[in-house]
Amino acid sequence: MTKLKFVLLASVITAMSSVAFAADKPVYGVLMKTLANPFWGAMEQGVKAGADAAGVEYYLQAAESDQAAEPQLNLCNTMLQKKPAVMITAAINSNILLPCLKQANDMKIPVVDLDGNLDPAINEKAGVKIAFQIGSDNEAAGAQGADFVVSKLGKDAKGPVLVIEGLSGNITGQKRARGFAAELKKAAPGLEIVASLPGDWDRGKAANITNDILTKHGDLVAIFAANDGMALGAVETVFAASKGDKVIIVGVDGNSDAVKSIKEGRLTASVAQLPYLVGKQAVENVKLVTEGKEVPAVVHVPTMVLTKAVLDAGTEPMLQFVK
Amino acid sequence: MLMDRLSTVERWRRLQFFYDTKLHVRLESLIVLGVLCLTMAILSPFFLSVSNFLNILLATTTIGVLAIAATLILSSAGLDLSLGSVLGFSGVVGAYFCVIMEWPWPMAIIGALGAGALAGYVNGTLITRTRIPAFIVTLGMLGIARGVGLLIAPNGGAIYGLPAPVIYLGQGRPLGIPMPVIILAVVAIVAHYVLSYSRFGHHTLAMGDSEAAARATGIPVEPLRRKLYTLSGLLAGLAGLIFMARVNAGDPTAGYTYELTAITAAIIGGTSLFGGKGSILGAMVGALIMGVLQNGLNLLAVQSYYQQIAIGGVLILAVYIDQLQSAKERKS
Repeated sequence: MTKLKFVLLASVITAMSSVAFAADKPVYGVLMKTLANPFWGAMEQGVKAGADAAGVEYYLQAAESDQAAEPQLNLCNTMLQKKPAVMITAAINSNILLPCLKQANDMKIPVVDLDGNLDPAINEKAGVKIAFQIGSDNEAAGAQGADFVVSKLGKDAKGPVLVIEGLSGNITGQKRARGFAAELKKAAPGLEIVASLPGDWDRGKAANITNDILTKHGDLVAIFAANDGMALGAVETVFAASKGDKVIIVGVDGNSDAVKSIKEGRLTASVAQLPYLVGKQAVENVKLVTEGKEVPAVVHVPTMVLTKAVLDAGTEPMLQFVK
Repeated sequence: MLMDRLSTVERWRRLQFFYDTKLHVRLESLIVLGVLCLTMAILSPFFLSVSNFLNILLATTTIGVLAIAATLILSSAGLDLSLGSVLGFSGVVGAYFCVIMEWPWPMAIIGALGAGALAGYVNGTLITRTRIPAFIVTLGMLGIARGVGLLIAPNGGAIYGLPAPVIYLGQGRPLGIPMPVIILAVVAIVAHYVLSYSRFGHHTLAMGDSEAAARATGIPVEPLRRKLYTLSGLLAGLAGLIFMARVNAGDPTAGYTYELTAITAAIIGGTSLFGGKGSILGAMVGALIMGVLQNGLNLLAVQSYYQQIAIGGVLILAVYIDQLQSAKERKS
């Protein structure tokens, strides 16, 4: 019995590791956070388009969830065993992959920080060198959300605002919430953030938070959620409370279900991250690096505010990258 | 007068006995809930209102339904770690049927409940047939159900935009009471009756107390266990249905780590982690303790890190108070 188990295990391991790289084309190793999120799905499509255009192969891995930090480190180490030409990594947090990336440096494999989850100061301390960082600026995305709210309500508007944060301690969610809060304070000081609560990226939780805050602040004027899923949870609560026409709700990401909701006139807006473009440009810039050309240390891929007007008109050229 | 001659201690004991034997709920957990409500009412002027209590009940429904499943399984000395994943999987199947396949809306309900029951049936069959521990089988199902849900949903994203009758199950308010709350109340009353008074319930508790003894008295242990896990999956499917109707989408990431909250609610309510003892009403009280705490922290706009600390602290305290009493009972 035990023998049989060993044989089974061994064959599974061999099968998994025998996905060999084609020898003739350079192969890029791409390590993402997780594929359990359309954001990363769209980025994968962008990587694919970029790789097809550049004539390179790529090998993609992702952890089971965007909180599986240690499993991601293991994936990273495994990936190094295959000696990829470049490592394009979207780290789950700013430190977990450092040992692996240091080893990549030692092996003379260029490292790219996809989606900007590494911290330059920590990298320097750890002695890790990054070829370049690419992604959207999450603080800027939050600020864009605030500017949109102010453009709707006017800079002299007054009233309570709710912020639904991401998973407690998660840097992406923190940056978006922080960017929103800072810009709102500057652009319309009369709009007061009465609560900034952790929705943990969970639609159900966001719906509950919205219910709770509506109890306390029936005159709520706007809700900013750090991602679309939570914004859509808030939308359902606000509409169930028949306040759909009174509360502006803004999410971040530009997911397909958010786009649908905006077209139906439910979600007011989403700051779209264009992950497809991030993936595509990452591969394009990597090609430049491998050819020995200069690439800026930080490449910011723009974000755009999707509203019903923008979507109905359909003339905005960047819309083609909204997946 | 009899009452005068009774000491306070004796009166307290009688009250406890009444709650324990007649209502199958521990007095201590009700007191924790009461104290928590009182604290919140003092701290926030918005806490004490009918609409806020409906909010709390509504926020407690998904965890509440899962806590019923957890109570049934724990009572039988089993464990179901797949509850949260099966919730997400069921919602995706339900949404897939009515949105992507465009089948009539009742298929969303059948799909969600069926997917949940199927996952539970697979759990139960594997546990009874292969003798793999429930911990491992349901942990495996935790991964499988989540993975299959993500595979079914296009690009791993949510399936948005359900038919109106399905949304009504999550957002409708007949007589001002949210539909999910009505569903939870009905399911809890039925489950309470089943566990505390029916033969099925007695067999479940007997099996949880001692499987060998249950077998010796002729209780069909294996079929009972398979039924229990199927029922647990069905309830997770119902929770998935409620969740998707509330947020108008079949979300493959829904219910992440909810199984732990549900098991916690069951244990706060006096259900034993090791079987033989279980109370559905207790689990409802446990779920409400968590719901009231979360609602209060939100009303007070408490920052996220403090929220985690507060929730963890109250959890340990609630079970500690319950344990004090059980320890006394064991000594006497």
